[in-house]
Amino acid sequence: MVEEESLRVVRCGGSELNFRRAVFSADSKYVFCVSGDFIKVYSTATEECVHILQGHRNLVTGIQLNPKNHLQLYSCSFDGTIKLWDYTDGILIKTFIVGCKLHALFTLACAEDSVFVIINKEKPDVFQLVSVKLPKSSSQEIEAKELSFVLDYINQSPKCIAFGNEGEYVAAVRDFYLSVYFFKKKTTSRFTLSSSRNKKHAKNNFTCVACHPKEDCIATGHRDGKIRLWRNFDDEKKYTYTCLHWHHDLVMDLAFSVTGSSLLSGGRESVLVEWREAAEKNKEFLPRLGATIEHISVSPAGDLFCTSHSDNKMIIIHRNLEASAVIQGLVKDRNIFTGLMIDPRTKALVLNGKPGHLQFYSLQSDKQLYNLDIIQQEYINDYGLIQIELTKAAFGCYGNWLATVEQRQEKETELELQMKLWTYNKKTQGFVLNTKVNMPHEDHITALCFCNAEKSENPTLVTTSKDGHFKVWILTDDSDIYKKAVGWTCDFVGSYHKYQATNCCFSEDGSLLAVSFEEIVTIWDSETWELKCTFCQRAGKIRHLCFGRLTCSKYLLGATENGILCCWNLLSCALEWSAKLNVRVMEPDPNSENIAAISQSSMGSDLFVFRPSEPRPLYIQKNISREEVQWGVFVPRDVPESFTSEAYQWLNRSQFYFLTKSQSLLTFSTQSPEEKLTPTSKQLLAEETLPTTPFYFILGKHRQQQQDDKLNEALKNELVQLPLTENIPAISELLHTPAHVLPSASFLCSMFVNSLLLSKETKSAEEIPDDVSMEEEKESIDSDEENNFTEEVQDTNNTDLGKDIIHQLSKSEEKELRKFRKVDYSWITAL
Amino acid sequence: MAAGGGGVADPFSPAGVPCAFSPQSQAYFALASTDGHLRVWETASNRLHQEYVPSAHLSGTCTCLAWAPARLQAKEGPQRKKRKSEAIGTSNQVDLLALGTAVGSILLYSTVKGELHSKLISGGHDNKVNCIQWHQDNGCLYSCSDDKHIVEWNTQMCKVKCKWKGDNSSVSSLCISPDGKMLLSAGRTIKLWVLETKEVYRHFTGHATPVSSLMFTTLRPPNESQPFDGITGLYFLSGAVHDRLLNVWQVRSENKEKNAVMSFTVTDEPVYINLTLSENKEEPVKLAVVCRDGQVHLFEHILNGYCKKPLTSNCTIQIATPGKGKKSTPKPVPILAAGFCSDKMSLLLVYGNWFQPTIERVALNSKEPHMCLVRDISICWAPKVETAITKVRTPVMNSEAKVLVPGIPGHHAAIKPAPPQTEEIESKRKLGEKEVSIEERLGALDIDAKKEKDTLPQTNSFPVLLTQGLESNDFEMLNKVLQTRNLNLIKRTVLRMPLHAVIPLLQELTKRLQGHPNSAVIMVQWLKCVLTIHASYLSTLPDLVPQLGTLYQLMESRVKTFQKLSHLHGKLILLITQVTASEKTKGSTCPAQKAKLVYEEESSEEESDDEIADKDSDDNWDEDEEEKGGEKDEDVDEEEEEDAEEKDEENGEDRDVASEKELNGDSDLDPENESEEE
Repeated sequence: MVEEESLRVVRCGGSELNFRRAVFSADSKYVFCVSGDFIKVYSTATEECVHILQGHRNLVTGIQLNPKNHLQLYSCSFDGTIKLWDYTDGILIKTFIVGCKLHALFTLACAEDSVFVIINKEKPDVFQLVSVKLPKSSSQEIEAKELSFVLDYINQSPKCIAFGNEGEYVAAVRDFYLSVYFFKKKTTSRFTLSSSRNKKHAKNNFTCVACHPKEDCIATGHRDGKIRLWRNFDDEKKYTYTCLHWHHDLVMDLAFSVTGSSLLSGGRESVLVEWREAAEKNKEFLPRLGATIEHISVSPAGDLFCTSHSDNKMIIIHRNLEASAVIQGLVKDRNIFTGLMIDPRTKALVLNGKPGHLQFYSLQSDKQLYNLDIIQQEYINDYGLIQIELTKAAFGCYGNWLATVEQRQEKETELELQMKLWTYNKKTQGFVLNTKVNMPHEDHITALCFCNAEKSENPTLVTTSKDGHFKVWILTDDSDIYKKAVGWTCDFVGSYHKYQATNCCFSEDGSLLAVSFEEIVTIWDSETWELKCTFCQRAGKIRHLCFGRLTCSKYLLGATENGILCCWNLLSCALEWSAKLNVRVMEPDPNSENIAAISQSSMGSDLFVFRPSEPRPLYIQKNISREEVQWGVFVPRDVPESFTSEAYQWLNRSQFYFLTKSQSLLTFSTQSPEEKLTPTSKQLLAEETLPTTPFYFILGKHRQQQQDDKLNEALKNELVQLPLTENIPAISELLHTPAHVLPSASFLCSMFVNSLLLSKETKSAEEIPDDVSMEEEKESIDSDEENNFTEEVQDTNNTDLGKDIIHQLSKSEEKELRKFRKVDYSWITAL
Repeated sequence: MAAGGGGVADPFSPAGVPCAFSPQSQAYFALASTDGHLRVWETASNRLHQEYVPSAHLSGTCTCLAWAPARLQAKEGPQRKKRKSEAIGTSNQVDLLALGTAVGSILLYSTVKGELHSKLISGGHDNKVNCIQWHQDNGCLYSCSDDKHIVEWNTQMCKVKCKWKGDNSSVSSLCISPDGKMLLSAGRTIKLWVLETKEVYRHFTGHATPVSSLMFTTLRPPNESQPFDGITGLYFLSGAVHDRLLNVWQVRSENKEKNAVMSFTVTDEPVYINLTLSENKEEPVKLAVVCRDGQVHLFEHILNGYCKKPLTSNCTIQIATPGKGKKSTPKPVPILAAGFCSDKMSLLLVYGNWFQPTIERVALNSKEPHMCLVRDISICWAPKVETAITKVRTPVMNSEAKVLVPGIPGHHAAIKPAPPQTEEIESKRKLGEKEVSIEERLGALDIDAKKEKDTLPQTNSFPVLLTQGLESNDFEMLNKVLQTRNLNLIKRTVLRMPLHAVIPLLQELTKRLQGHPNSAVIMVQWLKCVLTIHASYLSTLPDLVPQLGTLYQLMESRVKTFQKLSHLHGKLILLITQVTASEKTKGSTCPAQKAKLVYEEESSEEESDDEIADKDSDDNWDEDEEEKGGEKDEDVDEEEEEDAEEKDEENGEDRDVASEKELNGDSDLDPENESEEE
């Protein structure tokens, strides 16, 4: 059923939302943010993604509303183009080709036909602010090469540029300099922080700048947490500044409210600070926002703020400092230690989330479901603090058990380890801590694995550690006379010649446990915990270990650090085959025998899908990612696909997701891009027709009636016939195209007026440019003159019945028809 | 999929509140409660997604609702050469929700934008809208009303496309055929309309009360021999107000049969019906019917022709509160709606109250005819405003959780008695053969001790109290004795206590050591005394290692930080106390205790040397023992001293035996034998 195109790697959500400041639409209904090559349009009310604007070929670096038409949006990108979008329908209107990498974009209401961009000149670290003239043209792609230089030696971040006082000046900061360029005087003033000369206070470099919208006032943020408010800066000597200090760490972003009455600032403290009237006393706080505030933006209507955070989320905040919505992508703040897992209960992807949390991410809806607070300690966001890390997690017994390991290591010898075993309580529909184990091992835990065999009566967990032991934990009955309880206890401790235990894995039926000790793989009987046999290939430490499944359950696979993939036969206890492959990720498919391995080479990462029974891979996809792939997981499909071609059969029952080092989540898709794009045109487009207010019912109807009456009168009084507006192409075009995609009114005006003019000789065909409109005009005039004829036509049009019925009119019906004749239908023509 | 609607006052209106799962993946659950609010819940996280109050919610309450078919949205575009990954994929975004109101208007609400999208009024109904159905392909909307009409809407233009009289009474329910060319309507009778011409194709009669739900159950006719015209042979299902039977009808080629083919019986009026369409002949139809009494009935049936007897459900699901304690009895929790997930193997259940329902995914793998789920809805993840913003769930961490710290049993594998294969070695040593088991011996001692007790003049002396406390496990008695801080008193008590109480005492001490660190300080004093004074006795016990394994692990983990120092300390103390003890005991003799069986073992200096040398050769062991048996005249002091040394070695041996369980022999117990004696 699915057309089998070639398999492509596609990004599946979780893209970055916090790269640049978010931008609000004029009515605050939507908020825009850049996300990789795309611009996403979110609804501020529902947190849903309404549109994705796609068209840029490289990272989008800036977006701004079109100051002349607030239904349009400008965007710039590394691909050297500025694009103009209609965001309500998600349509690309125009592309301006600039040619060089654009790092940021600014628009000004007063600067006609030009926008400001940051470009990179020659040297890699020298950036310039230039203004680009956007030529007027009706074509889709326009070259915009007319650049005029504004400011030199600036920072590439758009946070370090701000336009103030309705575009009278632009302020830019870099290192210890604040430069202000006045457009009218065309002069630049430059201010240097006094302390930049003595190295003692070298921490006060500028980090961001914001300009007061109405007054001559510039706010700058500094690395030491101070905010300086500059005034009188048109005079290089008499300038003054005042200091606001609350942040203890660098000020990440600043924003003035629309009226300029308050200033917003944020930083690593995850607290949004509102300074009222720019006074140190009048502060309001919105604390506990969860992660470092990276950007702050304010809606043009002034009712909403938006903060972008380092954990890939945006918070929409009301004017009264109440968070109203959270747009949360896949949390990407930190390292992923736990790998990718699937929660058997919710089918959600589970991995490290906020610090100390596990995040549950729905792949279907590309939305975070929730964060599960495992560590349950207040997170103090400060540089250099050593935090408790959630390092391992595993689900067991169909999601009834969750094991987590957290660690904190301040010094070499001071390792703090804790393992928690959570049970899913069906009554309360949530996880409840069952057993907490302090220092389960004396050294780092390297692997954690539940025995997930179907018939295993007793839940079993194995932990391996660098201290050379592996421990088997079982669930036992801890009931006493006071309560019924179950708890986990250690059942067995195993070791092998004091080697570090690195991996563990249960066979599918749970009868065997494989534990790797550096280069050696040991097989244990899970009934008696006897050592059954050992495999050693002397090919480096074992990095991954897994048993084959279903028909291949007699095989054991191990991937070593020296780039050898070994397959042992458990019946013959011999090496079945080995291959040279530098495996980074090895994941068995829970629904089939297939195993996916991702290898890393200098060229990129390659995917191999194979069965343990034969050394020849089923499927190879080269170069799935240029980055290193860190984790992968097979996600069972709810509804199996039916690929018939052999190469894609491995995707029938499960889908493979993988996570790269930069934490983009990717997967494979066979559908062609076109196929995916077409549905937008097919989508259900229901027109928005809303009586806007209750007044409409009263006034709107009334006015309509009035108009009708007037028209009728006018038609009766004078027989001068206006051409039917619907029939003139120029007018219908004008009325039916969305206003924001039309050319300027001055351009249309003459055309419009011309079309309305009545030529003296309407009958002379030469004077009327458009034949069609003339004919129609004739028709309408005809119809007016021959009333009887029109009536008949109307009648037949109005009834759904065919002509046969008309011929058999009864007498009564004829009477009725006569009545119709008396009624004046001329107004119909005016519709 | 929406099951009916309902004005409250009307006795012939269906029960329940209009609600529906979103199409495709059931990501959302929309519910229009009687207070006029529309709430949309996320099924996966059970979180309130949005709430909308129509401006006319008091006059025109929502009577029915229906999700528009999912539209496809290109989520992210194709990727370019330069950046390696591209874009995915379409996800099916559900957006529009159609709401029918009591005054006859139809609202289209956009769940993506969170605002009213459009209003269908002009030319529509002038009475309560009873049912809305979206056409799956062309974006048309069909609605029926109490004004007896069926209206076809063009949602693009928000205009009436066609309006026709559906019945002589109010039309209560609609359903569109799988191929989209026919429409079922239910008024007084069930009619099948051809959508193109709006002509009646078939009539079906059978329900006495208004039909509240209509649904097609099959996509293909059961016998594939005849060519399929899109409708003939299909089955559909109908449920009616106050009717405990759901009827199944088949669209036949000719008008011969107008009655229901078969029926399903449930316990109460159906409120919400959901089913999985069967796509081929072999696949059974799975049907979930939520009844007014709050139960869900599941049916699984292959539709194939006529069946006289009403079928009963394969499985019934009920939900109840746990009913904690004796007073509160479990109360049933009503199920509000149930929908099959796309994998057809699990069911989404909505239960609780209408204003804050709980949504849970339940796997349907059990064969049991009755499932009662116990759920405590009071402490469920309540969708509080806070969690709605932060999306953080805090799992419960209460004091009932078991805590394992190093040294507590369960943290490390228990030291178990030697596995059976080591018995051979033991029997060679002939320890087990010669001796009465320790249990028997202790039993014998017990009797003796009791006799002794009677004769003792002073019943509250510490040794007696201790023994009695240990025997009866009396907490207060033990506290009285064990909480003393007087070192001399401790020593004397330990000295005078009966031997059989030593092991119970050690176990009691171990338990107390695991407790609060303050009490452990005193317990250590006791432990020290017991181990030094009764070292000889302890060394004679063959199963010492398993019996005191926990104590050993505990001590090991507690002294781990200063391992070497404490080893040295332990050794020195042992030496010193042995010396002083031997001096003291010369003066004050140990109180005589009658043992049932006396086995004396004596050895000379040379012998202990021999023993070390002979460790490996079992043959010599017998000789040694004979020698030992011969020398019986040594005095008590000497015996004690030497036994203490000997014990170290024996202990070592025992351990070896035990640790053979750890197959690799590198038992970490070996190096720290002495620590046990500290």
